[in-house]
Amino acid sequence: MVGTGETGDTGDAWEPHLLDEDEFLREVQSFEFWFEAIEGYLGDRPNGYDPDLVEAELDDAERDQLVTILCNYPVGETAALEASSGLVRLAATNPSQIFMATQVADEARHVEVFRRRLEHLGVSDLDTTIASRANPELLEFKRTLLGFVDDGQWDLAVFAQNVLLETMEDTVFRFHQTTADPVTAQILEGVIADERRHLGFGENDLGRRLAGDPQRRAQLTEVRARLDPLVLRCFEATYRDLGLRPDEFPELGRSYLDAVERLGLGG
Amino acid sequence: MADFLSQYSIQRWLEACPQGYLDGTVYGHDPDETEAEEVLTIDSLREASIAVTVQLIAGERCALAASSGLINCAPDDASKMFLATQTLDEARHVEIFTQRLMDLGIKKEDVNSTVADLANPNLVKFAEVLLEKVANKDFVAGVVGQNIVLEGMAFSVFELLQASSAGNPKFAKTLAGTIADERRHVGFGENRIGSLIQEHPEKRPEVEKMQAEMSYYMLATFTDMFSDAGQRMEEAKAIAAQRDENPLDGVSWHGADLMTATPDVMEAVLADTVLGEFKTRLGRIGIEYQSPKVPA
Amino acid sequence: MNDDLDTANSVEFETDSDEAPRRRFELEETGFREVPKRWRKFYRLWDGPGDTLAPNEVICPVCKVVIRSHRELRPGDRVYCMPCMSRLVVARGPDGGLIADVLY
Repeated sequence: MVGTGETGDTGDAWEPHLLDEDEFLREVQSFEFWFEAIEGYLGDRPNGYDPDLVEAELDDAERDQLVTILCNYPVGETAALEASSGLVRLAATNPSQIFMATQVADEARHVEVFRRRLEHLGVSDLDTTIASRANPELLEFKRTLLGFVDDGQWDLAVFAQNVLLETMEDTVFRFHQTTADPVTAQILEGVIADERRHLGFGENDLGRRLAGDPQRRAQLTEVRARLDPLVLRCFEATYRDLGLRPDEFPELGRSYLDAVERLGLGG
Repeated sequence: MADFLSQYSIQRWLEACPQGYLDGTVYGHDPDETEAEEVLTIDSLREASIAVTVQLIAGERCALAASSGLINCAPDDASKMFLATQTLDEARHVEIFTQRLMDLGIKKEDVNSTVADLANPNLVKFAEVLLEKVANKDFVAGVVGQNIVLEGMAFSVFELLQASSAGNPKFAKTLAGTIADERRHVGFGENRIGSLIQEHPEKRPEVEKMQAEMSYYMLATFTDMFSDAGQRMEEAKAIAAQRDENPLDGVSWHGADLMTATPDVMEAVLADTVLGEFKTRLGRIGIEYQSPKVPA
Repeated sequence: MNDDLDTANSVEFETDSDEAPRRRFELEETGFREVPKRWRKFYRLWDGPGDTLAPNEVICPVCKVVIRSHRELRPGDRVYCMPCMSRLVVARGPDGGLIADVLY
């Protein structure tokens, strides 16, 4: 049982919820916060997992399926790496610029841990294998996302990256974590923890910007409608790789739809 | 090549920095360290510290924009990984120097206007030359400009500031961490670009022109920064004399006695050191060093 | 999961204007490690639909982490979700339980 107990901070009324909003944002978007947060869940997990963790026995078919699934992850993560690095220069405030820099490092770590996992699974020519097995829908999504970044469109890029792409990844990773071998599951656990920050930043940053800008909201709603079919195809392709039949697909995109609803982009 | 590139890893960076020499620090210094008392209480010293810190922030903001901007045009994953760690290093530097500005009494809401007002115009032009290469997705020129010219300058400036901060352990410790970071950055610049220059010899003239231009603005910045330093240095010496102890007693940097050197001497030593480093590093990667015009 | 939170942890009361006094809660570490140490006890992972929230807890709708407070939460309270950086206000949900709405 966590979270209960008779000992502890009895008279201490202080808590994070008492910070004023500026203090809160400055704290959570700082390098120091990121640094202490990731130390908590990655400090004893070099390359994303406990080195003492025992590898599960995988037969050839299982290993091959895992390789196919994992080949998609570095593509999505590289898209996020390239987009977030481009967004650093577009950030309007120092804290959001620093946050975006921490996201750059997170995304680079994800690319690295997934590629290393593929190597450990015996993939020798990584780039060729990834290129041959990754879903083309993801590459199309990447092109769209990087187009927003190149055009200097912060809102559209943050929406496509920190809301759409991150929600897609979060949904898939969470599902995959429940069925994956222990090493892959632990790697995914750390990635999901990072995604929480990215998702939250995207939704909160956009939410603040859209609150007083109905024109921008209309534009984003239109972009969202344009990207939805592509997002759906990405989801479906990944779930097929995970070995699911369409009728077995979990509630696809529920988190995404919820986020879109909260942002008022339901159209 | 593969083995050399494999050292550029996020995991390696995590073990070296957050879990290594930055462990236990807060904004780059020990939690109980504060700015030296005279820096906080004597207006002229405080103003000078603010002016210096603003230049550090301006330089680091440029480095942050450049290193993040170069990720998209990096030709291989290992370079992307390294530049991702450098992006975060630079973001940390922006943060710790911004925090120092606030420690020196600048209000949070006044940080940006203070940086805009006090950033040296020549340093701003220096940044613009580099960021134009980055905006054009010119990886070779961008990395030479960022990791050899800008970082080479920062490395020497930080070393000089660290030596001059013998009486201010908090700032010296902050600088020590940034110097450790810069070591990796200049190392990447040389090691990665050396091979790329061999593959793209046609890039040399453009890169050499950029180096000369950036070096000119760097020298002009040094001239501006040292031009009004005489009175401040005398004031610091007078304060030390009153206390009968000078933390700079016996401290030298590249042959200059920091207790007795005039601003002109310090400017010359700094410029010679940085330009000498440029020449050596550029020579190693096959770029011919270009002597910059001397600022009027 | 946290059935005993609302009683075992309740140690004192706080009066808030005319309303009934609020219970206060001791917080212990929950095993949550995704924020710096000093903030960790204010959050825990949600275990899914079978997980019961204590009166000092509410779920972040953005990242699904459980946010915790020293005091019993009531509609109108502001809470922060540090793991995903959201600012939220506590509200009464359709089923009468506490929910959190994101404040942009």
